[in-house]
Amino acid sequence: MPTTPLGSPTEEQEKLLIESFDIVKQQAFQMKRCLDKNKLMDGLKHASNMLNELRTSVLSPKSYYELYIKIIDELRYLEEYLTDEFLKGRKVHDLYELVQYAGNIVPRLYLLITVGVVYIKSKELSRRDILKDLVEMCRGVQHPLRGLFLRNYLLQCVKNILPDRQLELENSENDEDGMEVGTVSDSIDFIHLNFSEMNKLWVRMQHQGHTRDKERREIERRELRILVGTNLVRLSQLDGIDVEKYKQDILTFILEQIVSCRDAIAQEYLMECIIQVFPDEYHLQTLNGFLRACSDLSPSVNVKNIIISLINRLSVFAQKENSGGIPDDIELFDIFSSQIANITENRADMPAEDIISLQASLVTLALTCYPDRIDYVDKVLGTTSEIFEKMNIELIESKSHVCRELSRLLRLPVDNYKNILKLLELKHFAPLIDVFDYLARKSLSLYILTNAIDNETKIGTAEQTDAILTMASTLITDQPDEPSINEDPDDFAEEQGVVARFIHLLEADEADIQYLMLNTVRKHVGTGGVKRIRYTLPPIVFRLFDLAEKYKSVREDDDKWEKKCSKIFQMCHQTISVLIKAETVELAELSLRLFLQGAVVAGNVRFDGYETVAYEFLTQAFSIYEDDICDSKKQFAAVTLITAALEKMTCFSTDNHETLRTHCAQAANKLLKKPDQARAIVNVANVFWNGKYIEDGREVEMKDGKRVCECLKKALKIANQCMDQAAQLQLFIEILNQYLYFYEKGNDHINIQVLNQLIGKIKDDLPNLDATDETELIRTHFENTIEHLRNRIENPETDEPSYTGIVL
Amino acid sequence: MANNGATAKIPVKKQTLEDAYSPPANFLEIDVIDPQTHGVGKKRYTDYEVRMKTNLPVFKVKESSVRRRYSDFDWLKVELERDSKIVVPPLPPKAWSRQLPFRGDDGIFEDEFIDERRRGLETFINKVAGHPLAQNERCLHMFLQEPVIDKNYIPGKVRLT
Repeated sequence: MPTTPLGSPTEEQEKLLIESFDIVKQQAFQMKRCLDKNKLMDGLKHASNMLNELRTSVLSPKSYYELYIKIIDELRYLEEYLTDEFLKGRKVHDLYELVQYAGNIVPRLYLLITVGVVYIKSKELSRRDILKDLVEMCRGVQHPLRGLFLRNYLLQCVKNILPDRQLELENSENDEDGMEVGTVSDSIDFIHLNFSEMNKLWVRMQHQGHTRDKERREIERRELRILVGTNLVRLSQLDGIDVEKYKQDILTFILEQIVSCRDAIAQEYLMECIIQVFPDEYHLQTLNGFLRACSDLSPSVNVKNIIISLINRLSVFAQKENSGGIPDDIELFDIFSSQIANITENRADMPAEDIISLQASLVTLALTCYPDRIDYVDKVLGTTSEIFEKMNIELIESKSHVCRELSRLLRLPVDNYKNILKLLELKHFAPLIDVFDYLARKSLSLYILTNAIDNETKIGTAEQTDAILTMASTLITDQPDEPSINEDPDDFAEEQGVVARFIHLLEADEADIQYLMLNTVRKHVGTGGVKRIRYTLPPIVFRLFDLAEKYKSVREDDDKWEKKCSKIFQMCHQTISVLIKAETVELAELSLRLFLQGAVVAGNVRFDGYETVAYEFLTQAFSIYEDDICDSKKQFAAVTLITAALEKMTCFSTDNHETLRTHCAQAANKLLKKPDQARAIVNVANVFWNGKYIEDGREVEMKDGKRVCECLKKALKIANQCMDQAAQLQLFIEILNQYLYFYEKGNDHINIQVLNQLIGKIKDDLPNLDATDETELIRTHFENTIEHLRNRIENPETDEPSYTGIVL
Repeated sequence: MANNGATAKIPVKKQTLEDAYSPPANFLEIDVIDPQTHGVGKKRYTDYEVRMKTNLPVFKVKESSVRRRYSDFDWLKVELERDSKIVVPPLPPKAWSRQLPFRGDDGIFEDEFIDERRRGLETFINKVAGHPLAQNERCLHMFLQEPVIDKNYIPGKVRLT
């Protein structure tokens, strides 16, 4: 037997190939010339010379393939010529014998096949006999590469002439000429033989050459796999095959060959090939046999991929619209689940991640083929737990392969249900999470909560809330196994943001249940420590505010609503206080805002005792301002907020309102910076005008023009003390605007004189400013103000005081 | 209508699956590797590792490794030419010119030369050991598998036990 090529370098291969191409070209030319002159014998001689090139041992599979294609192409001319000859009445029989005298076996068999096909078409002899003869004769070439291509040629040539009749009846087997045509069974036998011979050659390639070239040989073998697979494609193209025939005659034979060849490359490819080329209906009827064969494959075969591939196909099939789904009599899930158990057991050295990955494929199957059977999914999860127990796996570290597979498995139902409440119906889901280490648990928790957020899944009971938060405990509270390294603060904030958004998904139909849920979540996040509560408590407070409004809306049906509301505000108060105790500046500001919001909400809801609550909340805001906020900018912001809240609120009695607004005014006066003072006092002026209090059960609007004027004058005085001229002018313009606002609102304590004075002052000072961007802004502000006045003068509105006498 | 002349043939025995797919029973692979130069002056010489892997029943040991120098190969060739009936393939040439004095280079101890010789020796020993008749010769077994060659051995055939 010739030795295999030692893998000449690419250039060498190219050179060899070009040499062969030259010969092929010459011989093909000669062949055609002879055939054109009707010199058949000479033509055959040149064809044989051309085919001789395929006897080479020095070409790589790739180059050999190119050569083969070229020669096959030229050979078609010969076939056409012979077909013509036969149509003209020439007997093919003689030719069939004649070509067998060709000196070398490779050209001999190629010629035999070429003539054989014409012989079959001539119907001189039984088709079945010729086919049988051809496929057996090909045994003469045992060199793997040459044999594989020769048989591929055979397979290609008989493509359209394989008998495809199903009937086995004696008298229908013969066609009109009285020749045996054969049935589909003959075709099956033919392909079976060709397949097993090709597979044998293919497997044997592995043993050729030096062991050090094993890897290269495996690559080359993979390049050739399609030659072997074509046999299965051809089988699947026979129309005469039905499920029964497939089951009885085809699959059993093929599986026997695959299992017996004990070659991982062949087994992996051919099993995949079966899955892909035959219809799903056949697979459904032969699952047990196929899966049993899987468990008999070589230990180095990746069975996991084969099974996953089959499951994927069947899942797609089950979802196809006109497939009719999985027939009721086929317990797809049970079959797969017991066969997978079988395979896992048979393969002691199967890595844990592969076992889990198989379980994941079962989950996919259950989810796609049996969407209603939550119990199936749960069963797989249970089995998965048992597997870990059996393997003594108590902790799965993130970044391990097992972790990757288990995460994938657990995410399947999350993705598929798009409703995390369904996860709670899976008994075995939560316990599986506990096998993970901290990071993996956290990552899955985030995944689950994010899923709820993305799908806007409403959580409706306290039990559900409890179960979900317990599952996601890595995000809620410190864990005993939490690594001590500091997390990235941005990541941490993002995670906690997810929890916060999740809290907004809690939404029961009934207010009482909502209260229970919020209580539950409050208990959970309360354990989160300073670093978490700043993210998680505020949403609870807001949800409580919402709940108070909700109670107000159902007050007709719930006679205890007022009591419940005061309980809610108690809870808010207590929750916000927890934030203050954390003693950081940002939390102080946050608490201040929450108290103000609470005061506004309490004022709106008007339950029994609302004024006390609102007053308390506002005073809490004041004391935070006084005790905890030191930065002057933040102080100004706080005073502005408190004043604005008071201006909007309408729930206070005369006395309370007075105390509060006086406090605002004092706070404004005490601010550090002059511009801040001036602006804060202007804000207080607004309370004196727009503020409302309750007197004798009626809302009274303050409209205290005198006090407004005092405030504005004071603001002007303070502005005068400003040393920075630009800042001063800016303040003057702002105060002028406030004057105009109140003047237009009908405050009769403001006269045109004051306005003229202020405008004049601004006009005088404005040109003195250096030209800067800031100056430009101030100028525009002033011009806009003047523009407004001009507008008013030109289009006076009847119900507003007129600007007669104003000097622009 | 069976046995029309064109397709008539002698019946063949069906191959069993076991036979069809079993690995070849005549696996034999010999590598000549790792050349090392020892000694100084006139006693300077190069030897090679001869490593064999086989599943042929005639060899007692299925995997073996020995160190041999060129003269050992030469000895094997002489023994085979005398005792066996096979045509023994040639060894790589002896390189007399490289052993002349006053050379500018390292003569027969140049790396390039050693590697070229190594390849030649590998081809030689694979051809020899692959020959079914040579496989029976005691000298071949000793060459491939005994740590030290006993040049005073009694020539003869090895029998399958």
